[in-house]
Amino acid sequence: MLLVLSEEHKEHLSFLPQVDAAVVGEFGRIALEFLRRGTSPKIYEGAARKLGVSVEMVQHGVEGLMFLMTESSKHMISEVDFLDSVLVLGFSEELNQILLQLYLQHHAHIRSILSQLPSNQPAYHNLEWRLDVQLASRAVRQQVVPILTLRLLLSGVGDGVCARRGKVLQTDPSTLLHLISTLEGALAAMKSSHARRIFRNIK
Amino acid sequence: MRFRFCGDLDCPDWVLAEISTLAKLSSVKMKLLCAQVLKDLLGEGIDYDKVTKLTADAKFESGDVKATVAVLSFIFSSAAKHDVDSESLSSELQQLGLPKEHTTGLCKSYEDKHSALQGKLRETSLRLGRLESVSWRIDYTLSSSELREVNEPLIQLKLQSQGAESGSTETTVVSVSADKFRVLLAELKQAQVRMNALQ
Repeated sequence: MLLVLSEEHKEHLSFLPQVDAAVVGEFGRIALEFLRRGTSPKIYEGAARKLGVSVEMVQHGVEGLMFLMTESSKHMISEVDFLDSVLVLGFSEELNQILLQLYLQHHAHIRSILSQLPSNQPAYHNLEWRLDVQLASRAVRQQVVPILTLRLLLSGVGDGVCARRGKVLQTDPSTLLHLISTLEGALAAMKSSHARRIFRNIK
Repeated sequence: MRFRFCGDLDCPDWVLAEISTLAKLSSVKMKLLCAQVLKDLLGEGIDYDKVTKLTADAKFESGDVKATVAVLSFIFSSAAKHDVDSESLSSELQQLGLPKEHTTGLCKSYEDKHSALQGKLRETSLRLGRLESVSWRIDYTLSSSELREVNEPLIQLKLQSQGAESGSTETTVVSVSADKFRVLLAELKQAQVRMNALQ
């Protein structure tokens, strides 16, 4: 499929042919850092001073480049389609090749970053457990009560990777056995013929 | 195939796959890598630059480096967890296809740090709300708005414990009258007698 670039986007990217190839590579690197870590105005100011253009033009150029990369990675477009989409901008052949190389090198990485974005459900992170035996309490001595203490660590909930919440649970051995058999039943459901038929059709 | 170092379960597929990656390193480099991984497991931090330098000869990509560190961490921590002696670990790793020189190097490092590893694992086991400190103060109440002559001792106890989330501290302040405190002390002494009987 071809990317359709808006007029504004094309205008922002029209800054790129005015600088030489090394600078475009540098902009590509800044754009990828933007995706990974965000950006700081200092970088734009430094580049603008060196090139003798306004900060806005640099910022638009970098952001336009980043948007081009994310849209291409999002739709997983092929090399040919990428070149055709970029052809619309009327750049030189060399610039097109640079953009293509940038795309090919980084699209897998960009896709992995993008896939981490919608993390709003708490997800399983880790389960710690401890098996204790209660021997006595204030009220009753000479007991033997096995107790399993669990701490379920969840990640996500809006903050991305950080913010681990832990839930502390306690259970006795018979409940634990029931829990295990229920979870094994859930795993076995993945191997049922109904589930297999669906997986085959997705693949 | 059941392996003792995996807790009498099958060896995970990814471990099997990465053992062949491990075999690509020279045995000397692998021993140094084991030392780094053990340092990390004992909480002293890992020096990733050294690790990348050690694996540079075998031309590992970043994915391979991470996989190697992961598989070594798994082998060491799992073997320490199930209290496997180094001869059994050595024979099981050779069954999985790790060459003999690598296995001897690995097992020697494991044997050296075996008890330190187990101590560290014991420390990091699940503990809820560890008590950190106790401080107390005894006051003597002379009089109050309800009664002119009270003349009773009162104990203020401050307990600081680790909260349910790691890193947070909870402070509990209680004031206990003399009689209640005697009961508390008697019960705690009984619990202490039972704990000492266990040790």
